Amino acid sequence: MALTITNLSKTYPNGVKALKNLSLTIGNNMFGLLGPNGAGKSTLMRTIATLQDPDSGEIFLDNINVLKEKNSVRQVLGYLPQEFGVYPKMNALDMLQHLAVMKGITNSAERKEMIDALLHQTNLWEARKKALSTYSGGMKQRFGIAQALLANPKLIIVDEPTAGLDPAERNRFLNLLSSIGRNVIVILSTHIVEDVRELCPRMAIISNGQLLMEGSPAETLLALRGRIWSKVVSTDGELVALESAFHVVSTHLVGGLHEVRVFSDADPGEGFTPVDAGLEDVYFLNLSNQAKN
Amino acid sequence: MGMFWEFFSFEIKFRLKSISTYVYFLLWFALSFFSVAAEDFGPVGNGKVLLNGPWATATYYTQFCLFGIIVIAAIFGTSILRDFQRDTYQLLFTKPISKFAYLGGRWAGSFVATVFAFGGMLFGEMAGASAPWADHSRIVSGHLWWYIQPFLSIVVVQIFFLGSLFFCVAALTRKIFIVYLQGVALFMTYIIGITVFFATRSLEHFWSGLLDPVGLLLLDNVSRYWTVVEKNSLLTTWTGVFLLNRLLWMGVGGAALVVVLALFPMSVEALTAVSSGKRASRATQLEQEEVRPKRSLVAAKLPTVHQVFGPGTGWAQLVSLTRVRISNILHEIPFWAIVALLIAFAINNGYFAGRLAGRDVWPVTYLMVQAVEGSAFLFFFIVATLYAAELIWRERDTHFDGIHDALPMREVTDWLSKFLALAFVEIILLIVTMLCGILMQTFQGYYHYELGQYFKELFIVAFPQILTFALFAFFIQTVVSNKFIGHAIVLGLFISQTVLFRYGFENTLYLPGATPPYIYSDMNGYGHFVPALTWSLTYWFAIGGYLGVLSIALALRGSDESWRARFRAASQRMPRLAPALAGMLLVVLGSGGWYYWNGHVRNEYLNSKQRRAAQAEYEINFKKYEKFPQPKLIAVDAQINIYPERRSFDGSAWYLLQNKTGAPIEQIHVTDQRQSVNGVTFDRPFHKVSSSARDLYTIYTLETPLQPGEILKMNFQVAFASHGFKDGNERPELAYNGTFFDSDYFPYIGYNPNVELDDPRRRKEEKLGPLEELASRGDSYYEKVSLFTADSDWISYHTVVSTSRDQVAIAPGDLKKEWTQNGRHYYEYDMGASKLADFFSYLSGRYRLKQDQWKNVKLEIYYVPGHEYNLDDMLQSTKSGLDYYEKNFGPYQFDQFRIIEFPRYREFAQSFPNTVPYSEGMGFIARMKKPDDIDFTYFVTAHELGHQWWGHQLIGGLVQGSNMMSETLAEYSALKVMEKKYGTDQMHKYLKHELDGYLRGRAGEIRKEPPLVLVQREPYVWYQKGGLVMYTLADYIGEDKVNAALKNFLEKYKFANASGGQDVPYPDTREFVAALREQTPADMQYLITDMFESIVLYDNKAVSATVTATADKKFKVTLTVQARKSKADENGQETPMALNDYVDIGVFTGKKDYEQPLYLTKEKITQEKQTFEITVDQMPTRAGIDPYNKLIDRVSDDNIIDVTKP
Repeated sequence: MALTITNLSKTYPNGVKALKNLSLTIGNNMFGLLGPNGAGKSTLMRTIATLQDPDSGEIFLDNINVLKEKNSVRQVLGYLPQEFGVYPKMNALDMLQHLAVMKGITNSAERKEMIDALLHQTNLWEARKKALSTYSGGMKQRFGIAQALLANPKLIIVDEPTAGLDPAERNRFLNLLSSIGRNVIVILSTHIVEDVRELCPRMAIISNGQLLMEGSPAETLLALRGRIWSKVVSTDGELVALESAFHVVSTHLVGGLHEVRVFSDADPGEGFTPVDAGLEDVYFLNLSNQAKN
Repeated sequence: MGMFWEFFSFEIKFRLKSISTYVYFLLWFALSFFSVAAEDFGPVGNGKVLLNGPWATATYYTQFCLFGIIVIAAIFGTSILRDFQRDTYQLLFTKPISKFAYLGGRWAGSFVATVFAFGGMLFGEMAGASAPWADHSRIVSGHLWWYIQPFLSIVVVQIFFLGSLFFCVAALTRKIFIVYLQGVALFMTYIIGITVFFATRSLEHFWSGLLDPVGLLLLDNVSRYWTVVEKNSLLTTWTGVFLLNRLLWMGVGGAALVVVLALFPMSVEALTAVSSGKRASRATQLEQEEVRPKRSLVAAKLPTVHQVFGPGTGWAQLVSLTRVRISNILHEIPFWAIVALLIAFAINNGYFAGRLAGRDVWPVTYLMVQAVEGSAFLFFFIVATLYAAELIWRERDTHFDGIHDALPMREVTDWLSKFLALAFVEIILLIVTMLCGILMQTFQGYYHYELGQYFKELFIVAFPQILTFALFAFFIQTVVSNKFIGHAIVLGLFISQTVLFRYGFENTLYLPGATPPYIYSDMNGYGHFVPALTWSLTYWFAIGGYLGVLSIALALRGSDESWRARFRAASQRMPRLAPALAGMLLVVLGSGGWYYWNGHVRNEYLNSKQRRAAQAEYEINFKKYEKFPQPKLIAVDAQINIYPERRSFDGSAWYLLQNKTGAPIEQIHVTDQRQSVNGVTFDRPFHKVSSSARDLYTIYTLETPLQPGEILKMNFQVAFASHGFKDGNERPELAYNGTFFDSDYFPYIGYNPNVELDDPRRRKEEKLGPLEELASRGDSYYEKVSLFTADSDWISYHTVVSTSRDQVAIAPGDLKKEWTQNGRHYYEYDMGASKLADFFSYLSGRYRLKQDQWKNVKLEIYYVPGHEYNLDDMLQSTKSGLDYYEKNFGPYQFDQFRIIEFPRYREFAQSFPNTVPYSEGMGFIARMKKPDDIDFTYFVTAHELGHQWWGHQLIGGLVQGSNMMSETLAEYSALKVMEKKYGTDQMHKYLKHELDGYLRGRAGEIRKEPPLVLVQREPYVWYQKGGLVMYTLADYIGEDKVNAALKNFLEKYKFANASGGQDVPYPDTREFVAALREQTPADMQYLITDMFESIVLYDNKAVSATVTATADKKFKVTLTVQARKSKADENGQETPMALNDYVDIGVFTGKKDYEQPLYLTKEKITQEKQTFEITVDQMPTRAGIDPYNKLIDRVSDDNIIDVTKP
């Protein structure tokens, strides 16, 4: 399967241009979508999830015109919104039952098998008969994951899925996704670069509604090899000086000192040491390039 | 103190920032404003009572305070709960704050905020009083104290007492559930309590007033007999019951404060233990589960499932969605609170289904359905309003919309699930309502449950209306951008029906969700109302359906709320929805068109304003002919054919008209108020001069004038045909079973003053002057005119009436012949030589007949099967009435006496010559609950029988006072028949009700109160006062004397003007009073002056009564009594009178209300305070003055007191 997004644009009534002529093709397997807050990720995801129409542009899922044949898309869709709530007094089991029916799983034995599997997989089995409103944030997020995977979806859209999960649950979820993701399209939007590096054979960075880069994490890292340099400084003054002199990719606080990473084809000297490029460097570099342009 | 101030000012600031405070203020403001500015909005109503006077203000405040309970609970309860809801108590109570500062600050802040909010009442009234359109003849200015005193003594006391109570409960329980429910609970308890109290029909006024925490009973007890003058000048002062009540409840409020101060724990541990124990333990439990299992990190493979999308899935989706939505609603506490309220009201109202106009009846199913449904309807609508909004907004409110909207379902499925869920919960409410009805029928010992009737009314008539309303609400909530704006619009829509109707917009086709009025009757079921009801329900339901389809098209799905996006979505959905939309539109046009054709084209449609305008026009144009010389009607002969199945009749008839004036008559004027007269011809050449709109008034000129004494024959057709159905205002006279129409359908000779409007406000609206008063006694014109029928004196009467084969037709007169011809049933009735007033009726129905005989008089009751309850009672009453009346007044003039049941479209019993139509809604289902209950059926039957003498033998002139010679005398006659059955001692209870009825009647007088002998249109004077004073007179001068006076009077004046020839004066109350005075001893003559010719009130009271044993084993009672007497004018302004009166002084044994007289003598009372020493043989328990309430006394329950040892 392939999802083809062509020249997608969207301007909100308040004048915000969420998407600017964005084109992207996504095939089977996990696809990471990186971008800062307000980049247009959620707009793009909602548009693919049939919840919103663009002003112009087209989206095709194989032969399905996503913007016109919404119900066909919904039948194969598993969607986990960035934020969602639940009906307060329902329990997880009943709610999944209901959603399974809604997703056309008419065979009750299949339905039960799938729901049981998901409840175990998301570690909600024990709490399955508790009202959803009593769930903690992490439990709720896991419920969200379970409902998104109910009907063997062909197109999975997960918006910030790991937010609110503890490290163990996050790993478990990522394993689950990657085990499913080989034969279906999974679009994972996040601003946690780690998620993408671990999971996604392909990725894209968008910002201000535009596509900054698209490719495989490995390839892009290869391109940066030997061009990221690091130095530790102690004062803000030094930091400011470096910022004006070099193409600073990012700074981090390490034990109270600033670690400054710069992009440079050659050794910048001045005490910089070469470091391995991370996906984060790719990300920040792309963002800072856009800012410069 | 500083800390107190801190909490206090925090509370005030919080309330001032909270929008709800202003909402409450505005609510009270609006209620008060409209109560003053729009006279038919508030509880004071029509009349002369000042709209912003002291009594009106007290009434508004008390009634508003009843609803204020819920507001007070909301403000005070939440003030303390806030800390516990937001868990700030942990921060608070770890600090060293004093209990007084914390509780006191919160309480005082809430108190001030509530007083501010309730101040809306005060300012609303003031603003209302200066509204330019208000009725300024009923508004005074410059009496600031009249607003402030009631506000302080009613509203502020209420806030203090209830607020402290709610505050105390909230602080000690700290449960949100209780805080929200306590106000509602008290409100309900009060409503139920007060209605149960009214149910006892108690005339007790002290304890009920004292213990009333809200004040409805208190105010009623204090002011129940206040006249207009008093209502416009007296404040409820802090004296007597009012003072005690206020002190009592302020004391309860104070006690609540002491309790909360003493018992409120000021430590986090103690508070936590109670408040959040459960929640905390639940959270811990879940956290423990979190850490429990150790699981593999490797993801298991998920099973494979198959998705199927087809019609079956659509259905399964609908079912699943609907179930989820129903479960959501059923899991909400507010929903069950509404159900609980519904049950409380239904049970309460159901309790009163067995009471009509203050009298016990069997709680037959139509009454029960009406009672439980009536109170439940509001809740049906509340649930529709609230849950339509919840259902539309649920996904957005819970943020579940992201997942929900991306589900593979059609919009129709989603929408239908909402509609079905709402329909389902409404069905729950309907079933609950029905069960309440059945429960209350059982509770009252009535087991004839007509389940079909419950079903029809609730599920076929009410349910579609609720669904229609729900569909409107769905649509509104779909298109608005905010749920609360939606609620406001829905509420507006709900109110609009009533408001528009009030302002003359009465057309069912544009009043949202309206149906024309209908009445269920045991005789007819829904009868002729069925088509209009069906079509209007269809019409509005289809409109709802149309909006429903639009709602589906416009339903928001996804996150783009812009209208552009929604219209785009709608246009995408439209192709599939268009057929449904077109279908709905067709049904709307079809049913609406059919309704319009029937209600507005086939039948003339007039709203009530237009009908009043027609009445006014008649008066304006033709009143000038009121005294225009006309011949009088002396004979009627009619052939009438009734077609009950078509609700129609036709017939031909003739009148004989005799010129009883001294001059020739050239013109004959005919009023046709029912549009039922045609083809008028005379036995000599004539021509029509003019005719007004709808042939209401037609003038004919005879070519040769009618000479004095000469008789003219007038032939005419009389007919009325029902076509299709009307938009309301169906004629109640015509029914499939139980036709009952009277001489109103026949031509009236000359101007008929009965057509005139009588409501002063309506007259003002039509720019008519005040209703013309009846002429004074001795008026040279009106003394010769009959009180009842100005166009006639007495007539002879013959009729042949036919009806369908399965029905019986009845008219006054003796049945001469009965036969069947052409499949129709014929009856011939003839009065023979007996004369009757021009007042006859035609009835037809499928009756069963109960017969009896009294001497040579045939007694007959025509009734419908199932209404056998009181037949024997009616016959018994008739027989003892005939006994008493023949013996004391004179012979009964007919050979038959008939009682005929008719449908409850009208509720009265009316005496026609030898024929008494009696509504199925009154005597036929009346019920005696206890053996010593007053038997009203017996009484009413005796009263109507009494009219065969007083009204059908004796008729007064059309002047002031004459009405008492029919109604008062019938009432007196019936009282005497009652007395024969129950004995003198029992009459005491009945007299007390007569007294109460009279005093309340005069308190509600909107024109002015006349003395009995000058009564014009005041039923409380001619019934209650008249009956009471006649009874008292008989007690004072002797029953035989009064009856002798009545007999002589009747003898002398009966059938006045019946003999033909020129008219002579009819009797009036001057002759009547003379007849009474003739029998009254000189020292009792004052009674007639006081009771009949004036308005005199007593204030009698037993002050003290002590008993000592005498040497000869007897008992000496020393009784001190107080007596006052005053004379009232027409507005109730009183002036004291000197005492020189005979009043009963009595000593009794037995407990209160069951007194047996040991001594009862009339003593002459000349001083305000007098002491009597009375020796009796038995140990007395009670003693007093005027113990049987024979005299008119505004405080009737202090006349007797317990006898004590000194």
